[in-house]
Amino acid sequence: MAASLTGLLKPWTPRVLLVRWSRYNPYYLEPEPRKEVYHIPETELTPEQKEERELKSVRPIKAATNSVTSSVFNDPVLSKFVNMMMKDGDKIIAKGIITQTLENMKRKQVEKYHKAPEGKKAEIECNPYAIFHQALENCKPVIGLASIQKGGKFYQVPIPLTDNRRRFLAMKWMITECRDNKHRRTLMYEKLSQELLAAFSKEGNVVKRKHELHKMAESNRAYAHYRWW
Amino acid sequence: MLYTCLLPACQSEQHLGQYYTVPPSHFHTVFPHGLPPRYQQQVKTFNEGCVMVRQPALELISHLKRADYSKPTLRYLLYGVKGSGKTMSLCHTVHYCSTQGWLVLHIPDAHLWVKNCKELLPSSYHASRFDQPIQASNWLRNFRTTNEHFLSKIKLRQRYVWTKRESTEEGRPLGELVDMGVSRVKSSSDVVGAVLKELRLQAGGTEGGFRLAVAVDGVNGLWGRTTLKKEDKSPVAPEELTLVHNLRKMINNDWCGGAVIATLSQTGSLYAPSSAYLPQELLGEEGFDSMDPFVPVPVSLYSEKEFESCYLYYLDRHWLQHPHSQTEEGKKELIFLSNRNPSVLERLCAFL
Repeated sequence: MAASLTGLLKPWTPRVLLVRWSRYNPYYLEPEPRKEVYHIPETELTPEQKEERELKSVRPIKAATNSVTSSVFNDPVLSKFVNMMMKDGDKIIAKGIITQTLENMKRKQVEKYHKAPEGKKAEIECNPYAIFHQALENCKPVIGLASIQKGGKFYQVPIPLTDNRRRFLAMKWMITECRDNKHRRTLMYEKLSQELLAAFSKEGNVVKRKHELHKMAESNRAYAHYRWW
Repeated sequence: MLYTCLLPACQSEQHLGQYYTVPPSHFHTVFPHGLPPRYQQQVKTFNEGCVMVRQPALELISHLKRADYSKPTLRYLLYGVKGSGKTMSLCHTVHYCSTQGWLVLHIPDAHLWVKNCKELLPSSYHASRFDQPIQASNWLRNFRTTNEHFLSKIKLRQRYVWTKRESTEEGRPLGELVDMGVSRVKSSSDVVGAVLKELRLQAGGTEGGFRLAVAVDGVNGLWGRTTLKKEDKSPVAPEELTLVHNLRKMINNDWCGGAVIATLSQTGSLYAPSSAYLPQELLGEEGFDSMDPFVPVPVSLYSEKEFESCYLYYLDRHWLQHPHSQTEEGKKELIFLSNRNPSVLERLCAFL
């Protein structure tokens, strides 16, 4: 609806300018955090880009949220993970835990790398970001279950999952596993780094949970036709 | 040229910005305590200890080479903003001193003696002073590890009586005194005082002939306030602690045959604002008057060449793993985020 109304809006600015909104008038445009866009010199712009720039000089722009950066080290998947780990809006603590986790993983892998003989060095993955992404990939379920009512009873029906849902489930399982199944004295970053390294090599409790979900879906194959979408 | 293999004695200005490796055999003897904790983790991860040769440390070493040791001791004070490398320069100098065969008295952090003390015993030697048995015995243990070969050579010149039945006679080796201090925890602070006194008397002597280096980190903790309280909840002044009292006597320049190298530290200091880094602000009036005259050695943030060298070292050790951190843009961002501050850069590169 907002997209169709955008064409009918008249030039307008509000009486009182507020920031940190999440609901904006559709008249507002999205901010552009990437640096490369602003480095293109005038001559190399295509006609669409020139039009866009002129539009941006006239229309108001939404305030950028705190999580977008123009830094080269910005990672959207990691930001999502930090937001899911956050409790009571305390992003500083959540971000601190994640950085300590990355450092811990890197330390373990680099120590192993320096002590390994020459032949084995190429197999050891030292990049904590690569390990994190691969571990998350290994934890993502392929198929999920939904509770569908048919004839008064509820059946667990296997359904396909969207990419966002799969990513969300992988992160959620990782975080709940690290919060629940750890010793009272182990710190969160220590447990997270152990779980991520285990998931990277396809071991550990989170990957086990994914396999159990797949087995449940396989055993409930008969009800697959209850799905109507 | 990133690495140079020379020991501190042969390093000069051409080696500025290069890294030299501390041989693994020296690590546990020279540095049982005294290295910053993050650096110790780094040594464990990289399986080697590399120190960058920087201007303040070279300056200190050249002063130590050319000083006249028959005159009263010179006091050197390293100061700088938080994280600029004062403790690492001190450790570099301590390594130099121990390779030259000096006796090194390294106090890792004077602030540890004026705060968080679980046991405060009233001193047996002096009525109004307080003893700290745990800290003193820990320090004696580390002192024993650092200076093994001196302990049998130095003989005591005075008889020390500890209790009615125990005393150490004149002429016994220093090692016996130190062992007694480690085993008898109750009188360990007095043992520390006795050890310091003996070393002070014998340092400049022509017939034994060793040189004494007193390296104190966080020297501003010796003057100022403590967080310790007596049993009636009144605060303890630093003079009332035996360890601090004896250490102050060492820092006075009334003995000869050695050098005192000190570092200021805001990180562990009590009741000091976090933006203070100059000697006047951190030492206070009393401290400045006792340290005066001293040779100030400013420790600055990394220069461009030093930053390059640090960046290349991390790349070489496979520490900078993020693909973008190895590009030019990532490097510019690191310079911007850390402002070339060594400790901030280290913490940034830890998770990148």
